[in-house]
Amino acid sequence: MEASQGNHPNPNPNPNRNNSVASSVPVWPTIDGPLGLSEEESVGYARRFYKFGFALLPLLWAVNCFYFWPALRHSHSFPRIRPYVVGSAIGFAVFATLLSSWALTFAIGGERLFGPVWDQLVMYNLADRLGLTGWS
Amino acid sequence: MAETQTQRPCSSVLDSLGEEIVRIIAPVSICMFLVVILVSTLNTDSSLFDASMSMVTIAYNETTSDSTWDKFLGALLNSLAFVILVTFATFVLVLLFYFRCTRFLKLYMAFSTFIVLLFLGGEVSIFLIQKFSTPIDCITFFLVLCNFAVVGVLTVFISKMAILVTQGYLVVVGILVAYSFTMLPEWTTWALLVAMALYDLAAVLLPIGPLRLLVELAISRDEEIPALVYEARPVNHGSLDPMEVTQRRLWRERRVQNLNANSVLAHGPDNVESHADSGASAGYNRDGADLVRENASLNSILNADSSGGSNGYGNLVSVEEGRVRVQETGSDLSAPLIDRGMNVQLGRGEDAASIENLMLEGIGLGSSGSIKLGLGDFIFYSVLVGRAAMYDYMTVYACYLAIIAGLGITLMLLAFYQKALPALPVSVAMGVLFYFLTRLLLEVFVVQCSLNLLLF
Repeated sequence: MEASQGNHPNPNPNPNRNNSVASSVPVWPTIDGPLGLSEEESVGYARRFYKFGFALLPLLWAVNCFYFWPALRHSHSFPRIRPYVVGSAIGFAVFATLLSSWALTFAIGGERLFGPVWDQLVMYNLADRLGLTGWS
Repeated sequence: MAETQTQRPCSSVLDSLGEEIVRIIAPVSICMFLVVILVSTLNTDSSLFDASMSMVTIAYNETTSDSTWDKFLGALLNSLAFVILVTFATFVLVLLFYFRCTRFLKLYMAFSTFIVLLFLGGEVSIFLIQKFSTPIDCITFFLVLCNFAVVGVLTVFISKMAILVTQGYLVVVGILVAYSFTMLPEWTTWALLVAMALYDLAAVLLPIGPLRLLVELAISRDEEIPALVYEARPVNHGSLDPMEVTQRRLWRERRVQNLNANSVLAHGPDNVESHADSGASAGYNRDGADLVRENASLNSILNADSSGGSNGYGNLVSVEEGRVRVQETGSDLSAPLIDRGMNVQLGRGEDAASIENLMLEGIGLGSSGSIKLGLGDFIFYSVLVGRAAMYDYMTVYACYLAIIAGLGITLMLLAFYQKALPALPVSVAMGVLFYFLTRLLLEVFVVQCSLNLLLF
């Protein structure tokens, strides 16, 4: 029983410190709560997701922000995880802004803005030309 | 168990049970609903998929001009050939798992997920883009599609992704595979559904069934079944004390580590389809085509396994309940708790697992855990409803209600028998029965009523 009692505080080093500050501070770093990762594992996961996101995978940044939402939402919790999650949020916001600007410009501008090149770049014409929808 | 009952009133127990059922029925309903929408929206000619679905129509290719008897006989031959392939592939999977080729199974699962999301997802997206004339450019399209596929592979591969993301991707994979199955000829589809239901029944309940062997092997090793299985999120009881939460998390971590050995059981036929897809699109992605072509023989063996294998994992609450029960019992008894605590502190997961095995044998199964449903069940439920959507919406409603009722019956049987059960037979039997009853009887009745102005 003593061993089990001693075992209990170890996975939650932060709650011992944070409970004295405020009761609303999150206990678990992931959105899945007790079913998710521990804090030590979360640091490695957040770092890996953040770095993989630079390989033209901004969706990984979004998933990183979603998964570690408690660390992103509460500014003073989980100081080791937070830099990666904030970096992912900034990266995803920048990339989404750029891609949305380009896609909307292409969609709204149309042939008036891009000329005949628009017909070659638009996806349904390209699919017809490459035969992506007709295997037989 | 007794403590749980005394701590909470009966209404909360009923609430948690209802919540468990809803958490299984909700994703099944979402999958079926979206397949019906896809089938109704993309009314594509079925000949588009002829090359990719040649695996299923290996014995006989149905044409409209054939006589009824020829169609019936051809459909039987197709389903028999498919079931033989599924059985063979499932035994290969059991053999690989027995010889601990978990790394290979893990890589195969990631590869199959990538093929399904990239090629099937891209294909359905292009159909939708052409249907609605969406002016999206190729750069944006390929960028978003690659991101979607790679994140899906990481979700399957890492297995410690957010639960909601994992569940979402599994539903998407089920939708894409089910939609491709609805492109089969009509008689072959019905024969295939009935044959897969019978196969599921035999594979799970017979002592020498491959899925039963797989489940027993996984239980004896305290590992996750190497399959793509949808796991409903456990019901979050607010009354859990921190110690119990910690123990559940430790158990979850150990189980999730073994989850890396999973294999894709529901993607197989699409590998052949993906092979055909990439072959057709070799003009712009030659390397991908070559890569897929090299694995064609491998996929042709494992793809059938994919369709059949996951059906057998219909409900594995017995495994989950046993493990959760061990945790709850551990919190009551001081000696096992000290042993587990020491093992956890020393980082010896194997010792903890062995202790858990010993305790598991002597404990009855009764507590609640997360319900698991094989992804193949999602796929064949959705194929049934999608096929009904090709005829009329009245048959869709009848099939949907019949399938949900069948799933409810299966869950009740699961609670009664406390072991892994096939989830396909009851639902498919009721779905097929209600489809033909609605088509042959109810439609005539409703038409007569509307003609006589009794019903609008």
